[in-house]
Formats: sequence, C-alpha cells, structure tokens
Amino acid sequence: MAVQEGTQESRLGFTQGTDHISFDIDETVYPLEALYGASYLFLDKCFVFLSRPSPQAVSVRLTLRDAGSPAELDRLAGEFANELLSQVARLRLTQATARIREYYTAAALRAAASAPSVDDLLAELEAEELLEDPLEIMVPWEEKHGAKTDDPATK
Amino acid sequence: MLERITFDRSLYLPEAVEAAAEAYAGHAQIELVAGADAVVATIRDVREHDPQLVAHAFCNHVLHETIARQRQTALDEAV
Repeated sequence: MAVQEGTQESRLGFTQGTDHISFDIDETVYPLEALYGASYLFLDKCFVFLSRPSPQAVSVRLTLRDAGSPAELDRLAGEFANELLSQVARLRLTQATARIREYYTAAALRAAASAPSVDDLLAELEAEELLEDPLEIMVPWEEKHGAKTDDPATK
Repeated sequence: MLERITFDRSLYLPEAVEAAAEAYAGHAQIELVAGADAVVATIRDVREHDPQLVAHAFCNHVLHETIARQRQTALDEAV
C-alpha cells in the first residue's frame, strides 16, 4: 500500500493521518451491502467517507470526532475491519438460507390459513350437542315407558 | 473557507446528497453539481461551527441517508 505525504502506515498497514485513517477495500471480497452495514454502525463513533479510487475498489476514510492518538485510530480501523468481516459472513448466511426461510414462512402461512377459527370450532361443538341425545332426554316419558294407567293395583 | 466534496454515484444516492444539503441549509451554503459519475457538493459560508466539522458531519448525513433509502427500497421490493 502506497503511503501518501503527511501520512504514515499504521500497525495494521492502513494509511494514517493526524486525525484520520484510510484503507482500500476490494468490492469482489467485501460486497457493498456489507460495507454499508459496517459503515452504518460506525456513523455515531466517527466520520465515515467513501470514495472510489478504481472500479472494483472502495476507499474508506474514518475520521475521529475528537482528537485522538494513532493507537486509537488504529483500533478504530481494526474494529471497522472486523465488523466488515462480520457483515460479510451475515450477508452470505442470509443468502444461503433464503430459500429455507421462504419455505418455512410459506408453510406457516398455509397452516394458519387452513386451521379453523375459534368461532368455527364452537359452532361445530354446538351443532353436535344439539343433534345428539344419547340419554334420550328429548323423548317424552309416555313414548319411552308407555301410557300412565289409573289401576289402583299398580299404585 | 470552501470545501468541495465528491460523492461517487456508485456509492452515494444523488437524492441522499440533496436531502442532506437541504438538512444542512441552516448551517452553510451548499451548492450541488450533478455529473455523470458523481455529485459534487461545495460548502461555503459556514455559520457558527468549524467548517471542517460541518463538512464531515454533512458526509455522515449523506451516507446515513443513502443507507436508509437503499434499505427502504430493498424492503419495498421484498414486500
């Protein structure tokens, strides 16, 4: 990596100025979505600026919000690089499991659509109770045991 | 003091640069020139704050707007 005038090479091999550190990223290794993900997390820690030195490369420049030491800049860039790797891993995992997640979501939606509602279940239960009379409660006494007689002997 | 910043179109959305310029209108005079590959922002007449600080904060705002808008677009396309 070429070191510009007024800058020095950091411990991690990045280009370091008095209040900023910069490094180039190969977009074929680190997709832009991953770079955006890492940059977004660092917006509240430092100033982030992206530029395009060549078609497949992105230059990242991190500037401290307040004065800091070269070690702080180096740590900041190291944390950014780690976060970038984490974002790439997350992105690849998301892409690799996209179909299985779609399948499970579709299966869950299908199951939810075919399941009867509480109202349906209650209606079904009510209909069953009304139609069935296993103890013959609805059958009149006379019909069940014959007509009543006035014979005193039976009393 | 004058700051000229180039926002590459492959990294920053032009509408994000415009939104940020509008948001920073109260802090400085920001002029935008849209080119084929980039949008160039010229920051001058910075009021109250350090011009460099305003320029850095402006760049962060543009990046934030770009990421937020791209995520929203991806979400809209997925639904």
